Amino acid sequence: MSEFINAAVSGILIGLLYAMIAMGFVVIYRASKIFNFAQGELLVLAGFFIWSLARQVGLAVPISVMLGIVGVAVVGFVIERVFFSRLVGESPFSMVMVTLALLILIRGIILVAWGPDVRAFPAVFALKPIVIGDILISRALLYGGFISIACALGLSWFFGNTRLGLALTAVSEDHQVALSLGISVRKAMTIAWVMGSVLSAIASVVYLSGRSLNFLVSDIAFAALPVALLAGLESVGGLIPAGILVGLTQVLAQSYLNPLVGADIASVVPYLVILLVLFARPTGLFGWKRIERV
Amino acid sequence: MATLPSGVFAETYAVDRALIRTGKQWRALSIFLAFLLVGPFLFGSHFVGIANGMLITAVAAMGLQITLGYAGQINLGQAALMGMGAFATAFVAERGVPFLLAILTGGLAAAAFGVVFGLSAVRVKGFYLALTTIAAQFVFNFVIISLPTSWFGGSGGLRIPPIQVGSYRLIDETALYYFNFAVALVMFHGAIGIVRSRFGRAFIAVRDDDVVASMIGIDVAVAKSAAFLVGAFYAGIAGALWAYYIRYISVDQFTLFNSIWLIAIIIVGGSGSIVGALIGVVVIRGMQEVITFLGPQVMAVFPQLGGGIVFAGMNIFLGIVIAIFIIKEPKGLMYRWEVLKQRWRTWPFPY
Repeated sequence: MSEFINAAVSGILIGLLYAMIAMGFVVIYRASKIFNFAQGELLVLAGFFIWSLARQVGLAVPISVMLGIVGVAVVGFVIERVFFSRLVGESPFSMVMVTLALLILIRGIILVAWGPDVRAFPAVFALKPIVIGDILISRALLYGGFISIACALGLSWFFGNTRLGLALTAVSEDHQVALSLGISVRKAMTIAWVMGSVLSAIASVVYLSGRSLNFLVSDIAFAALPVALLAGLESVGGLIPAGILVGLTQVLAQSYLNPLVGADIASVVPYLVILLVLFARPTGLFGWKRIERV
Repeated sequence: MATLPSGVFAETYAVDRALIRTGKQWRALSIFLAFLLVGPFLFGSHFVGIANGMLITAVAAMGLQITLGYAGQINLGQAALMGMGAFATAFVAERGVPFLLAILTGGLAAAAFGVVFGLSAVRVKGFYLALTTIAAQFVFNFVIISLPTSWFGGSGGLRIPPIQVGSYRLIDETALYYFNFAVALVMFHGAIGIVRSRFGRAFIAVRDDDVVASMIGIDVAVAKSAAFLVGAFYAGIAGALWAYYIRYISVDQFTLFNSIWLIAIIIVGGSGSIVGALIGVVVIRGMQEVITFLGPQVMAVFPQLGGGIVFAGMNIFLGIVIAIFIIKEPKGLMYRWEVLKQRWRTWPFPY
């Protein structure tokens, strides 16, 4: 029983971490109608910024985290200015391809600047786990879980209730309609990218705290993709249940299905789940249904 | 639609349908094909190796052109489909199946795998489709690594026997070049045929607007699945050729990164044109060779950059190329070529 509870708790917490990473995807999509494949790369970039500041420059960890977040926000701003402000109103395909281009471009830059070596990321949260009875809880994941729930609630209030949030929502519905309503699509995109970058930096701190860092860490973004899809790309609040669902499925598959199959089926389970869900509900659980007119 | 040079009139339907319309085109094509055939004797074995890589990539790129360029369905799993074909071919080749049949098996296996994702294209669109095709990559990795090692070699990879005709073993680079060339030519002809057929027209209609396409009587579900089927079949054949060429295959030869290279080929060459895919292959693979060649020399000048510079340089180059083409030249090189051709034909009275 305690094994099950342990698995369930860690599943929920990992799910909340996925939700945090997926939030970067959703916020950028929700405010600019761009699906950013380079989210994982931004996460790694934030990790390297913080690592460099803390270990090479020698700043205190909290200050390097702050500066790292600001640094990535600037990167997000520059990316939007250089690439996406020229692509307002272009087809989804162009947008997807530019973000894919960014994915490999940033990866190349990271490789040139920091090389492929594995680095030890500073422990932002204490490494000692919290012990309740038989249950072990990682501090980084627990605090990360709280941060991700807080971010999800805050952002979903922001998108639904503030003037700016509603303007961003309009942009993600249709660039042209938003423009004709007097909303600046370029400004919305800038805000979206800065927010998305900041979120990826926060996710990076939660995920990397006390772990090892190299350029392959960005794969976590692909693990978080099913969460974004399951929630539907427009729903920030839906990320939390979707994240918990995916995290639980994965961890339970790991501890109960893997021994049965004798292979690492847990790594594909989220994708299989999402394929099935998309067949039934093509816009995820909480996504917008779009009515098509000609 | 490009206008023809003056003085060319179609008097029968057969002439109107023909791919090659003038004597000059025949001559240019013959010279080009003859050049490709004598190529191995003119250039060294290094260039034959590059050409082999290009021919195999060309087959995969033509398939992707049909799925992406003609039917407009984003497919980020072309490399995984190629891998599926390669492993299926290796699997049956090891068990003594003759090579032509093995290559066909590779194509069909990839097509079967691709249709699954084609079916999801019927339901999901745009971003969601891009994401589900990424799932193909993960499923592929999982299937190959976790199935019994005696089937696909697991993570260790798989060796496969060379092509054997009678007692002659096809392992020479030049001999493989001719083999790959022949297959690529057949596939090219097939691709041209498909995109000019009823299916090709349906693909284009679905790409331009699938709601409208369904209203003019096109079965969108069938068209989308067919597009994925054909594209995956081409990927499978390319994978089979790759397996016979390299004779050692492993999962890490077919990554998401390779799929992105293939898409870059389509973007650079020009989407919606089979010849464009070939131009893209030559340009992109050529640039890759240049980077591989320059990498060690850059490293000699700046030793602090380390051995990863070739891979990093490839990444940076690819990222910049895709971004520049999408922003500045979204229709690709083929479009430029068509514009030039048009100008030349209507010169000096372009009205």
